[in-house]
Amino acid sequence: MMNEELYVSSRMGHENHFRVPDGYFDNFADRVMSELPERRQPLMVRMRPWMYAAACVVGAISLVAVYFHSPDSAADSNVASVSATETYFDVDEAVDYAMVDNQDIYACLISDF
Amino acid sequence: MIDDRLLIQQLSNPKTQRKAFELVVREYSEKLYWQVRRIVLSHEDADDVLQNAFLKAWQALDTFHGDSKILTWLSRIAINESLDFVRRQKTMLTVSTDDEQAVANMLMADDYFDGDETEAQLQQAIASLPDVQRTVFQLRYYDEMKYSDISRVLGTSEGALKASYHIAVKKISEFFKSHD
Repeated sequence: MMNEELYVSSRMGHENHFRVPDGYFDNFADRVMSELPERRQPLMVRMRPWMYAAACVVGAISLVAVYFHSPDSAADSNVASVSATETYFDVDEAVDYAMVDNQDIYACLISDF
Repeated sequence: MIDDRLLIQQLSNPKTQRKAFELVVREYSEKLYWQVRRIVLSHEDADDVLQNAFLKAWQALDTFHGDSKILTWLSRIAINESLDFVRRQKTMLTVSTDDEQAVANMLMADDYFDGDETEAQLQQAIASLPDVQRTVFQLRYYDEMKYSDISRVLGTSEGALKASYHIAVKKISEFFKSHD
């Protein structure tokens, strides 16, 4: 096969007998570019800004929904501290109402022993 | 030599696409022209086919992701356009390229062919090969394209291409021996 290839190569050569008009390649690109239409971007590319905006809105709505519907541990601790505070104030109020002072309380405690 | 990677980036950016495509046309039009011309033979036809090929490439820019070299991608489009043109021509013309002397006679009358009778007969012999076989021969012999690149251009396995090329060489060898 290599011999046949060499034979063909020796007989054919590589000379190009086809010709082109003078300056053909010099202005070919200009002709092609002048005929090219404006490219219309694919629909998905054109819709991208709107899709980003929609994603932001959906994200914001989701965050707000999660915030208002999640178990609120901060509120619970506020309730607990308020409860503790209320308990504290309840004892004082009870003591005041009973008109019992500290000496009475100490005496009561000692008598138990 | 143009940096393919940079060009591919610019081709995928709508803002730089047009300018990048112009660079592509300037860089590769001559090489592609000769691939087309050897298939369609006439300068006027080659000019039409090549312009159509670039137009198709422009319209199909979104499908090119840099998986192959730019030239390989363009060659595929240009060769397919050329083969489609030749097939349409065969069905339209009353004198086909299968007619023994049609191609040789046409070339001898062509202002843009300066070969002698023997060269015209050789082109006749090449034109009588089946279209894909002829294309493989021309890309390998004249463009010295690697089989791997021809495979990407024609979508055919390298093994089939090598077989096709060797058959083409054998037929052309027989042509010369019969004209000795």
